[in-house]
Formats: sequence, C-alpha cells, structure tokens
Amino acid sequence: MKDRVILLVEDNPDDAELTKLALSRNNLRNEVVWAKDGVEALEYLFGTGSYAGRDVADIPVVVLLDLKMPRVDGLEVLKQLRADPRTAIVPVVVLTSSREEEDRMRGYSLGANSYVRKPVDFDEFVKSAGQLGMYWLLLNEAPKD
Amino acid sequence: MFSDGDEKLFQSLMEAAPDAIVIVDGHGKIVWANSQVHALFGYSSAQVLDQPVEKLIPERYTDKHKQHRSHYIDSPSVRPMGSAMGRELFGLRQDGTEFPIAISLSPLTTESGKLIFCDIRDMTLQREVEKSITELNQRLLTQNDELVVMNKELEAFSYSVSHDLRTPLRAIDGFSRVLEEELRETSNEACLGYLSRVRSAAQRMGCLIDDLLKLSRITRADMVINEVNLSLVARQLEHNLHQQSPERIAEFAIDSIKVRGDERLLTVALENLLNNAWKFTSKNRQTLIELGSVEQENETVYFVRDNGVGFDMNYADKLFGAFQRLHSDEAFSGTGIGLATVARVIHKHGGRIWAESAPNQGTSFYFTLGRQAV
Repeated sequence: MKDRVILLVEDNPDDAELTKLALSRNNLRNEVVWAKDGVEALEYLFGTGSYAGRDVADIPVVVLLDLKMPRVDGLEVLKQLRADPRTAIVPVVVLTSSREEEDRMRGYSLGANSYVRKPVDFDEFVKSAGQLGMYWLLLNEAPKD
Repeated sequence: MFSDGDEKLFQSLMEAAPDAIVIVDGHGKIVWANSQVHALFGYSSAQVLDQPVEKLIPERYTDKHKQHRSHYIDSPSVRPMGSAMGRELFGLRQDGTEFPIAISLSPLTTESGKLIFCDIRDMTLQREVEKSITELNQRLLTQNDELVVMNKELEAFSYSVSHDLRTPLRAIDGFSRVLEEELRETSNEACLGYLSRVRSAAQRMGCLIDDLLKLSRITRADMVINEVNLSLVARQLEHNLHQQSPERIAEFAIDSIKVRGDERLLTVALENLLNNAWKFTSKNRQTLIELGSVEQENETVYFVRDNGVGFDMNYADKLFGAFQRLHSDEAFSGTGIGLATVARVIHKHGGRIWAESAPNQGTSFYFTLGRQAV
C-alpha cells in the first residue's frame, strides 16, 4: 500500500525546499506534493483545475500550510478545507513566521491541529519538523483498505 | 422708587457688583443703571436713563427682543436669558461694536409697577477661552487620530518585518547548513569556517528581529492591572537561571514585594533585569543578586542589584536605548534590547528607572511604578 502524501502549501521556493529537506532529514519518506499557493492546494484537495480527475478520497496524511500567500492565503484554504466533509478531518499544521501570526490564527479558531514556527535556525526547524512529522504520521496511520 | 435709606444701600450694593446692572420698566425703558454699564457699553448712566433697553442691543435683534420682553413681563421668572435656549447674546456698545454677553433676569414688583432686573456680564474673555479650549480639543482629537493611524501602520510594519525579513534569513541559514554537510566530506576547513560565520550572522539577525518584535509587542500591549507578587515571579526566574547553569555559585536575596501592575509585563521586565544581572556576574566566583525595595521621598523604589562587572556611569544615558550595548559581544552576548524593554514596561506603569554602577563594583537598577504601586 502506497504511503499517503504530505501536502506542502508554500509560496516561497526556498522555504519549500528547506521544508522538504527537513522532512527527509527526519526519514519521513512520504511523497511531498508541493502546492505553490492556496489555489493550487484547493485544486489538489478537491480534484479540480490542474488536478482534475485526481481521486479526492486519497487525502493527504497531513497538510503543511503557510499563511501568507498570493491569490488564496492559508486562512482561506483552512476555512474551505474544514467546511468540506471530504477534507474536514485532514490534520493541518500551520507554518507561521512569528508569534503574532500564530496568536492571530489561534484567534480565528478555525481548527488548525498545530502550529510550527519557522525558525531562522535550520537545525531547529529540522527538529520541529521531525517532531510534528512523527506525531502526525504515527497518529494518522493510513486507513485500512 | 425707594426710601432714602433703602436707596443708599441699594446704590452701594449695585455699584459693588462686577456686572453691568440695568433695571427696566414694563415698557422696556431703562429706569436705573449702575456705573459698570459705562465700562461695558461706553454709555454713562445718564445717557441710558429713560432710553429703551434696545439701545444696548444690536439692531438685528431689537424686534425679537421687544416680543420676548413683553412676554417676560406677562410671565416673569428668575432665569438666564437666551443662553438657556443655546442662543448667543450680544451687546451693542456706544461706538457701534458688539460683544458677547450673558444676562440674568429677575422680576421686581415695586410700588411703581413691575420692573425687570437685568444683570449683564461681559463674556468676551470667556468666549475667547472657550474658543481656544475648543480649538485645543479639536487639535488633540486630530493628533489622536493621526497617532491611531501611525500605530496601526507600525503594527502592520512590525508584522511584515517579522514575516518578510525572517524568510530570506531562513534560506541563508538553511542552505548554508546543507552546504556545510556537503563540504564536511571534503574537509575544507576554511570554507566550513566561512559558512559557520554566515550561519551565525543569519541567526544573530534572526534574534535581533525577534527581540525588536518583542519590544514592539510590549509597547502595544494593553495593561491589565492586578496585584503582582514580584518575589514569587523572581523566585521562579531564579529557579530557571539555576537550571540553565547549575555549576554557578549564586545566591539570590529576594525581599517580599507585592505591587500593583500588569503581571505579564512586569515579569518580562524582571526577567530582563535578572537575566542581565546573571549575565554580568557570569565571571564572578560567587554571585549575589538582590531584589528589594526602599522608601524614598514618599515613594517606593524597587531595586535589582548584582555584584558583577558593572559599567562606567559615563555611558549611563545609553543604557535604556534599543540596540545600545556597553560591552563587546565577545565579553557578553546580547542584542541590546533587554533594558529598552524594561524601560518601556516601567514607563507604561508611569514609573521611572535608573541605574548606579561602577566598573567591577556591581550594578543597581532602581525603578518606581508610579501610582499603581501599593
């Protein structure tokens, strides 16, 4: 059985690459699907646009969601994803750049499962990526076929 | 209209009054006026006697005034004139100029019929003062609006600083780290050294940005005033410091201190002060850090004292500025935001902060907490 994918929603290619590196350093071998903004993420999740025809029952094991993105931002992605029964239960980890951002997000209580603050220090980021990876992957075993 | 004795008393009372006083009969004719009428209107008493009271009123009001006057005679009562209805009243001077006045009316019933007692006060000065107060208030409101806008802009600015400046730093640090690992196999020591410098510079800049953001959060924070047990907060902070460097021999002498203030902000301030004391005593064999208070000129002065390296008081004015440092980074690390943060917390409480020190003599930080303190 194929591992479920990790959906990485991140507009900055540097941050996307670093996140992938941090995940692979933690031996998380799940395929990472990179959506460059909220529009792409929603297309992937709901099998529309460039992902038309994708089996939407195959939901990601976890969504790593950046907040500040062009077109559709992270907040909007989270809203739509929680509103749709197909994706309402997908674990979402919000990637924040600051405490303020995290506080603001918590204020919306839109049901993010956890928050990871992207630190400047890459080693720290690898550490928190490892912790969140372990947590969500172990907790979310792929559904039995 | 009065007996002789009465008249004398009446005259002297009326002349002693600071306002112009005229007495008008039922037909609006002035039957008596004091000498203040001259000061206000320019007419002598003799010039207004037997004249219609409308002589003292700008022409545009005379018709209205006649109506009001006959109405008042029919149903007299003690009341201010005009102003009760929010109307501004004006007097007409002999030279044709106008000035703002306030008038009180009282009906008098005498042997010679109904009279009206009018007390006329010159309101020029008061109107000017009122006008300047209104202008000042308006200016304050405008400035306040500007400040609110500026504050919002600052908030937006600090948000984008946090997001936008940290992003490239992450890339610099992250990819340097990856390069470091790749290069480790070639063991090119010089290159590895440069990369490590790139990384520590990026991380240091990250710390600066974070500290700057913390400082701006403090400035914008709303205060919640409660009783705060500073000693308890200090004990907790002491515990953390001991855990950080268990090898250090350090004694904390903490007095029992309760104050009124914002617990979160005061904790931040105390944390910075104690961390500072801890840092600048790190080269001591034995560390002594004190938290106490003294009564001085009717106010309580709190202090945090250490026996560390101290500093030259010539630089004391730089102590509380953001990014100001009195020691080299090699001697003591830091971003220079700590004391700026402390000062902002103290100022937000309406207090003052200052320091006393000398090289190798330790440092004392003193602060007050304004009116919130108990």
